[in-house]
Amino acid sequence: MFFERLPYRLQIPLGLAGAVVIAALLVTVVSARIGAHQARQGVIATAGRAMVLLAAQSRSLLAADDTWRVFTLLRNTAALLPGAAADQSRAAILDTQGTVVAASMPGMLPTGSTVLGQRVRGQTLPAPAAVVAPRQWDRADGGMTLVEPVRSDDGQLQGFVYVEIDAGAFVPDWAALSRPALIGVLLAVLLLVPVGWLVGRRMMRPLAIVAQCIVRVGREDPQALLTLVPRTRNPELALISHAVERLIAETQVRQQAELRALSAERMAAVGRLTAAVAHEINNPLGGLLNAARTLRVHGDNPAARAQTLGLLERGLQQIRSTVAALVPQVRIEDRPLEANDLADVVTLVLPMAARWRIDLRSDTDLSALPRVPSSVLRQVMLNLLMNALKAAGEDGRVRAMLSADASEVRFVVGNSGERLASGGLEARLAAESGTDPAGFGLWVCREIATQFGGGFAAADSDEFATQLMFWIPNRERHEVPAAD
Amino acid sequence: MKRQLFLRATAAAGMAACWRPTPAAGRLRIGLTAVILADEAAFLARWAAYLGPRLGSEVAFLSRDEYQRLHDMLNAGQIDALWTCGYPYVRFRKQLHLLAVPLYQGQPTYQSYLIRHKGDPSIRGWPDVRGKVFAYSDPLSNSGWLVAQGELAKVNIRPHDFKRTFFAHGHSHVAEAVAARLADAGSIDGYVWETMRLQGMPAAAQTEVIWKSMHHGFPPLVTASDGWGQPARALQATLLQMANDAEGRALLKELNLDGFIAGSFADFESIYRLACSVPGSGVEAS
Repeated sequence: MFFERLPYRLQIPLGLAGAVVIAALLVTVVSARIGAHQARQGVIATAGRAMVLLAAQSRSLLAADDTWRVFTLLRNTAALLPGAAADQSRAAILDTQGTVVAASMPGMLPTGSTVLGQRVRGQTLPAPAAVVAPRQWDRADGGMTLVEPVRSDDGQLQGFVYVEIDAGAFVPDWAALSRPALIGVLLAVLLLVPVGWLVGRRMMRPLAIVAQCIVRVGREDPQALLTLVPRTRNPELALISHAVERLIAETQVRQQAELRALSAERMAAVGRLTAAVAHEINNPLGGLLNAARTLRVHGDNPAARAQTLGLLERGLQQIRSTVAALVPQVRIEDRPLEANDLADVVTLVLPMAARWRIDLRSDTDLSALPRVPSSVLRQVMLNLLMNALKAAGEDGRVRAMLSADASEVRFVVGNSGERLASGGLEARLAAESGTDPAGFGLWVCREIATQFGGGFAAADSDEFATQLMFWIPNRERHEVPAAD
Repeated sequence: MKRQLFLRATAAAGMAACWRPTPAAGRLRIGLTAVILADEAAFLARWAAYLGPRLGSEVAFLSRDEYQRLHDMLNAGQIDALWTCGYPYVRFRKQLHLLAVPLYQGQPTYQSYLIRHKGDPSIRGWPDVRGKVFAYSDPLSNSGWLVAQGELAKVNIRPHDFKRTFFAHGHSHVAEAVAARLADAGSIDGYVWETMRLQGMPAAAQTEVIWKSMHHGFPPLVTASDGWGQPARALQATLLQMANDAEGRALLKELNLDGFIAGSFADFESIYRLACSVPGSGVEAS
């Protein structure tokens, strides 16, 4: 509703004016109804007084049979009749036979025409002899006819005063009845609109300030806002002010809590990052230490020494790449992936597989030369293999397959542990990204896949309960999003 | 201004003047109809102021609305002069002395009119007034009663053949009665009606003339026969000289008259013959 969209400083004066108008209209209607009832009685009473005057003044004229002077009497007196100005009433003096001697409107009551005992304006009037006292008749058309005998001082009948009042004379003058009320309404509106505007403005000023405070809550200094909240003795406004003060205080507490939560989140992120770094570095460290022990035992064998040193070099290179990846904007110069990288990774996790008596097997299918960076894929393969070994558990089985074609490089790992479907993987990833730093490996794999434009998902397998598949496009340079 | 001119003209038609110096009163009393006097106080004051210095006496006007009443006052010495109608002059000629006769349109004559409400096709002449409501001016009016009686007799309409008749006590009232349809027709002084029309009065505009009589002697000023003396002659001389000075001409213009002449009974011969022919006129052939 349009009215409801108006500000209170307009609603209040308009509402006051509207209330006055409605009240005035109701009063006018009631007054007019009462006035209409009283008007008819007033018309009859006025006509009666005029007839008494005519009867008194016409005695001598009737005795003299002076038509002209009767006419002048009627012409001067008929103005007293209600509605005479609008030709809604007329008077006549009749002789003893009920014939018009003269009338105020001779055109409607012709001189010499008989009235009494005749049908006039739809009303049959009695014969002169039957009119021995003042009488009146309500006509069917709403008008009225009145007749009063004129008698001499000794009671001799001299004639009659005859008056006709049309229905229009009884119709209330609505314009006249409503004029005072309308003038009152106009004056009231002229007074109440500006007064209401001032009152509304005064009433709404604290509400407007409160509204401004509410709008600024959360964006400006709470202490400064608290100084703006109006102090008032009005109970409703005081209630609102107190509520706004509470809102400001609670908002301040919430903002502080959010700041603390943000800080904690940042600390948690740092912790997760540290854990991830430790995880990525710790993973190859086990294999490197094993390689160092191998070198110490079999270092005399040139082939074994060379293989072990190569293993050590590639493992250290992986750590270096992992550390370098933590530095934003650093572009890692890395060699492409080779088939040996899978063998290296398998070698790194073999002690874990042996400890749990897990049947670990791996294979490669490189129909195209991989061009993806080796350090990234090694990190992924190491994470997924370690995750698979953990999932397979003692006496379990783990199978790894590295394949590459012209379009993408793919690494698939299956284990015989608990089943992990697609929905379960997503739930695990969501959990691992937030509160489970221990399972950070899967989350890192998914992040790498995303960054390199590939994917990471759980795939159906008839042989293994869980089979995870990682793939990225087989190209040399990838668009790596800038780190936050 | 127009209404004033009309009323002054009406005064000329109906006014009766009488002059009988009365040492006790010390002033000249002239009888006029009441209706005219009521509205023409300012004009009559000017006329009195004109006559007074020339007559060496104060002049006063008295009004009554019936000719008979004014003649009674003249006979009783209550007024000194009377501006009456030609019919009462010929009827009471033995008790009256002709003082002056007004000139209207250069002649000492006027006409009687039969009028009806404008556009009323039911009345086209005297025969059509049978069964109607008819208005006369005064029982002693030539144009407002006597002429009508002569014409009604010609068409064999008797008083009881009317629906109703009444006297309106003045020629202008006859016009007003017909205009208001209080009467269907009326007999009126032609000089008065023409003056009303000239001044654009509603009663004349709402009526129309359907018959005009022959010319009759204009209503004269008379005095009682025993009141004719030097003062009466002085009044007569003053009236006859009014057209010869500017102030007098201005007053005559307001009366819509051209002047006064001494006149004679011969000027009223037509009225005399008419009165003789009307039963009950009170005039018998000598």
